[in-house]
Amino acid sequence: MFRIERDRARFREIVRGRLRKDLRKYLSSTELLGRRGDKSISIPIPQIELPRFRFGDNSKQGVGQGPGEEGDAVDGEGQEGEGGGGAGEQAGEHILEVDVDLVELAEMLGEELELPNIEPRGNRLLSTEGGRYSGIRQTGPKSLRHFRRTFDRALRRQIAEGEWNPKNPRIIPIHDDERIRSCKSVPKPDSSAVIFHIMDVSGSMGREQKEIVRIKAFWIDTWLRSQYTNLEVVYIVHDAVARIVDQDTFFHLRESGGTKISSAYDLFLSQILERFRPEEWNIYPFHYSDGDNWSARDTERCINLLRDEILPRVNQFCYGQVKSAYGSGQFKKDLDDALGEEGRLVCAAVDDREGISEAIRTFLGSGR
Amino acid sequence: MVRTSSLPPVLQQQAIDIEAIARASGLDFFDVIFEYLDARQVNAVAAYGGFPVRYPSWRFGMEYERLDKGYSWGLSKIYELVINNDPTYAYLVRANSAMEQKLVMAHVFGHADFFKHNIWFSPSERRMVDVMATGATRVRRYIDTYGQDRVDEFLDGVLALDNLIDPYLPLREATSRRSFVRPVSPLERARHSFAQASASPEEREAAEERALSQEDPTTLPTLDVLGFLAEEADLAEWQRDILRIVRQEAYYFVPQRMTKIMNEGWASFWHSRILTRSVLGADEIVDFADCHSGATATQPGQLNPYKLGIDLFRHAEETGHDLFQLRALHNDVSFIDKLVDEEFAAKSELFLYSKNPRTGRMEVSGRDWQKIKKQLLCELASGGLPQIELVQRDFGGQGELLLRHRFDGRELQLDQAGETLRSLARLWGRTCHLETLIEGQPLRIKSDGEEISRVEQSPSASTPPAGEGEQPAA
Repeated sequence: MFRIERDRARFREIVRGRLRKDLRKYLSSTELLGRRGDKSISIPIPQIELPRFRFGDNSKQGVGQGPGEEGDAVDGEGQEGEGGGGAGEQAGEHILEVDVDLVELAEMLGEELELPNIEPRGNRLLSTEGGRYSGIRQTGPKSLRHFRRTFDRALRRQIAEGEWNPKNPRIIPIHDDERIRSCKSVPKPDSSAVIFHIMDVSGSMGREQKEIVRIKAFWIDTWLRSQYTNLEVVYIVHDAVARIVDQDTFFHLRESGGTKISSAYDLFLSQILERFRPEEWNIYPFHYSDGDNWSARDTERCINLLRDEILPRVNQFCYGQVKSAYGSGQFKKDLDDALGEEGRLVCAAVDDREGISEAIRTFLGSGR
Repeated sequence: MVRTSSLPPVLQQQAIDIEAIARASGLDFFDVIFEYLDARQVNAVAAYGGFPVRYPSWRFGMEYERLDKGYSWGLSKIYELVINNDPTYAYLVRANSAMEQKLVMAHVFGHADFFKHNIWFSPSERRMVDVMATGATRVRRYIDTYGQDRVDEFLDGVLALDNLIDPYLPLREATSRRSFVRPVSPLERARHSFAQASASPEEREAAEERALSQEDPTTLPTLDVLGFLAEEADLAEWQRDILRIVRQEAYYFVPQRMTKIMNEGWASFWHSRILTRSVLGADEIVDFADCHSGATATQPGQLNPYKLGIDLFRHAEETGHDLFQLRALHNDVSFIDKLVDEEFAAKSELFLYSKNPRTGRMEVSGRDWQKIKKQLLCELASGGLPQIELVQRDFGGQGELLLRHRFDGRELQLDQAGETLRSLARLWGRTCHLETLIEGQPLRIKSDGEEISRVEQSPSASTPPAGEGEQPAA
């Protein structure tokens, strides 16, 4: 069915064109959330229909068949009848689900927001074990003995020692002759990354603020996934204290109370010191808050933590300040003042959903 | 005779047996060729409207995507597919059970008989498989020459207009011609088919003109707007050819549209009769009943042609009609007109539904058989298409087209109509107008190929008053 595959490919091309065109819309809506599989995302699009002269629904009445009293409702969802056959000519109102590769979606995102590809941090290469057995050693398991090399060594030694008899060419390797194959570890560019989504869930972060965080987190994940083969995501929530939660809790939790941002930074720091060591991981913390911290002293502590402990260890620290009705937004100002020179700290303010794409561009635009 | 190209021996024998029973029951058909395909292949063929080869278009790909998804999610499944052609092609799906294959075969013979004998199918192209394939070859050549995007754009524009045809035209022409056309021998037909397949575009054009243009589509008013455009629009030759291909396919599918209920009813009537009287084993009866009742199940707010059709034929048999004559002479409209009476409406539980303004829901609103019949006839008239005729080709003295919607109580979907009109204007190269009624008020919309606007008209005026107020379409 080669022909139909070509037509399908053409159709998908059109869909991708449409998706690309509407990407800004998706960037500010929750429509795609929860539709992500491991490798692809299933995107609902209204079936693309050609315009035609059709009847409208002014005289919405018709004939049906079956039991029922006057006044019984008949507008259950119409379904495709079994059977079918004949030429399909009814124009249906269908929603199609089209699978788009995550890599492809990330590519579109990259094009749309002009995101640079991420360069590996520093020149650090992570050695990975289990490369090819291309090396030679003098010790090792006998099962990996390199027969030809071992024979070669033994032959040379016996000739040198004058023990070799061409009439009876017996070669007996001794321990020193043995050559063993070894696994040569191949240094590979590091391809592991960990994202920390840190959210302020104090009383001032409302439903809409969380939605914005959610949409942003989705697209950031999508982008970083396309850049790293191995991506871990850790969710941290904090009010006056911080803790690690699962994804579902992260997005639905509603706490109230004060805000002590340093609690989250402490927890994050302990994570990267113990679990996700900077030598092995590319680390991307994203902190979302409405910018209302407990006290100026705590902010001071946060700034010190960032400057001395966190920033040197991460690829980039992103702070996204979501505007809320109650938040003062002071935290971003303080960060900008104290650490504005730091290249690894990126701050963005998001007023509403429209601002999401701009914030993503700010976060991911530096290619770190 | 059944010709099989790919059936396993068991099914082949079954096809031969069932064919013998079908013929003994009085059914008569062209050779039937069963192809044996897996579900994906059937979906692909179905996406092409049943034809193995059609011109490339993303719309077939979209249809395939839909069918394929439906199949893999277990939402829908195609049992059978049969196309009106000589020989008649039918597809059997590998995944069907043995009982289902028998049912499908019997069903197919019913359709095949209907294709051959129903008068509305009599003018239809019986070598459509070849015609579609040669058309596809030409379209591919145009794509190679002019590029996929240009051809796609033009094709999409023409397809938007593919229901601007006169459903009664082919039969009218066939009957007016019959008196002086002598019967054709099979040899001549074969020669004609070969000549058509190998003809150059010019020869073919001439042949098509002989075949389709008994009536001059440039005589106004006409419903055959596509025919008019094929003659009169200022187009490049490749565009004209594509327009003709689309028009021919549209006319090919007209009889299917006009006899959907009869055709499915006839096939279901016969599969049921043939299977229950002789073919089924005792262990298959329950499965058959399950499958058959699934196919003829009714859904609220939706008419099932299988169910209504089989009910009508059974009613006709009980009331002493000649079934074979009925299937030869009628289309859905005349068939229902002849058979639906008070007794039938009650027996097959027909009801009328409409929107209850208070609850906003569709509700059963009555079982008055005369109202039901009227509603059915109205819905099915003209193949269920809006009647839109071309009334003026030089509207306003500017070479603009004026179309008129023959209003039957059902309004047009206005935004769609505007976009369709825009497609027409692009094809014609000048502004096009459409007159219709919305909420009882006459309305004219127009498009110059870019903008769409509506022109309000006073109820009595047939020509727009001076200083017409124009405003953008909603």
